[in-house]
Amino acid sequence: MTTLAQGEVRQESALQPPAEAGAGWLVIAGQELRDIWLSVRGPAIVFGTSLLLSLLTYLAASNEELNIIDQRDTVNLVAQITMALAVAVILLFTADCLSGERERETLESLLVTPVPRRQIALGKYLAAFSLWPVLLIVAVPYIWVLREGEGVFADAMLGTLVVGTLLVTGFASLGLLVSVFSGSNRLSLAVAFFIFVLLLAPTQLPLGGWFGDLIVQINPMTAGSTFLHRVIVKEHGWGEDLDLLIAPVVWAIAVTAVAFIAAGRLRLQGSFGR
Amino acid sequence: MAVASLTVEGIAKAFAETRAVRELSLEAAPGEVIGLLGPNGAGKTTAIRVLTTIYAPDSGSFAVDGIPYSRPNVIRQRIGVLPESAGYPLQQSGEEFVQYFARLFGHSRRSARETAETLLAEVGLAERAASPIATYSRGVRQRLGVARALVNAPRVLFLDEPTLGLDPAGQRQILALISEVARERGTTVILSTHFLDEVEEVCSRVIILNRGEVIAEGPVADIKRRAAPRTARVRVPEEMHESAVSALKRAPGIAGTPAINGARGLISASLDGLDASGKAGNSAICALLEAGIPIVSFEVEGGKLSDAFLALTGEVGE
Repeated sequence: MTTLAQGEVRQESALQPPAEAGAGWLVIAGQELRDIWLSVRGPAIVFGTSLLLSLLTYLAASNEELNIIDQRDTVNLVAQITMALAVAVILLFTADCLSGERERETLESLLVTPVPRRQIALGKYLAAFSLWPVLLIVAVPYIWVLREGEGVFADAMLGTLVVGTLLVTGFASLGLLVSVFSGSNRLSLAVAFFIFVLLLAPTQLPLGGWFGDLIVQINPMTAGSTFLHRVIVKEHGWGEDLDLLIAPVVWAIAVTAVAFIAAGRLRLQGSFGR
Repeated sequence: MAVASLTVEGIAKAFAETRAVRELSLEAAPGEVIGLLGPNGAGKTTAIRVLTTIYAPDSGSFAVDGIPYSRPNVIRQRIGVLPESAGYPLQQSGEEFVQYFARLFGHSRRSARETAETLLAEVGLAERAASPIATYSRGVRQRLGVARALVNAPRVLFLDEPTLGLDPAGQRQILALISEVARERGTTVILSTHFLDEVEEVCSRVIILNRGEVIAEGPVADIKRRAAPRTARVRVPEEMHESAVSALKRAPGIAGTPAINGARGLISASLDGLDASGKAGNSAICALLEAGIPIVSFEVEGGKLSDAFLALTGEVGE
């Protein structure tokens, strides 16, 4: 390299950067996918899910004494567990994605790249979302083994795919939203998980009366769970309970829109919990 | 002077009641290394964060390579930054890390690989490129951070306390690297630091901040002369004090009338500091010897950037 006098500008460089930054979200998503799937985290989650579903399927399929619930109920249970697990895990991943960078002091280096804030969020969001199709595929053999009667397998898979995708979309966005504003990773994870538990709890409660019906309709978790139960266990047609999909659809669209609007205002320091 | 690569006009930034930076202005040419000095809480990091588009200025404006601050994404294409507390993904290798950032700046896979290879060799990390960052010492991580900050061949490089926590050998390596980047690439370097020796060694100009305010600005030699004039302390036999004062008064380069400190038997004479080579001191010694006055001791105090810094900021010491 030749030495330049002060004030001179090098005309040619072996390291000339491209005039414009490319699709930064794609680069970030690629890196995050490697971080998830080529490390312990992704494979461990898949292994843990497989173990849980194996145990459940084994008990349901082989042990007649313990097999106290109907096969359709068991298929529904596998679908519901897969969905809830995916929602919880992906929520925690997205809740960590920006506040974690803040805490590890790697966010500033990312913010001074020409990648727009929303693209940074999108890359991380998509990488976390990749867990969902993988966990759904993990559930396929279990639902296949437990299926009983014509059409159960198809209904269970399609229902889980639709409801799960809506719920995962909304909850992943919720995690992202909390992460955009949280100054501390612990707080981000705690707030996101608290909201998840708050919405999940009613699915385990005996809800009745007009108030119970209202909760089922407006809570995306209960609405999605009830829809899946009616399709798989009660053998309802897809058109019969479409109103139950309103809450998950609204949830997915609204939270995602708010999260990505907020992501445009991503700052070095969080707004709360510093 | 070539077109300024960085122009700053009166930027200010406040957080609630705290005015972190007030009316900072500067103009930097390509290849120039400017030191940003100041005690803790002086506003150095805030100033850098404003200039690197992390914070929006409350008032004032700046432009990098002619790009106004209202276009932050374009400015980010032209700057390189090593933040004060830069974290690293410990599981990644050095080359993966640099390649990743090169890709974020729009390099193709192949170009990112070549860029990483070149830069890691330039910062002396070619042999450790494949090792996980977790195995790097702090000094090696800082060099990696400089390599990362250069992936886009920046016009302006911002380094916030790049030698903090490094041993002397590590500090020397980073300083050599900074000088090389400015000299060989024509990159403007804004170096924020506490370490005054570093500024004297690599910076052509210095800006001293205190409580968010610029209290001195200019070439290092000027700052030293203005804020810390050199003083000669001469000890001669007591009976020759008067004739020594007369001789010193006539000597070129001595400013004002030398003073006799009776209690310590020392004569203090202000060297005008116009020459950095110490000629005023030489002429004082010559004048005394020519007058036949024996010199018991002769010391020159002041004239260091650290003296200027302490005088300007009122700090007890860094």
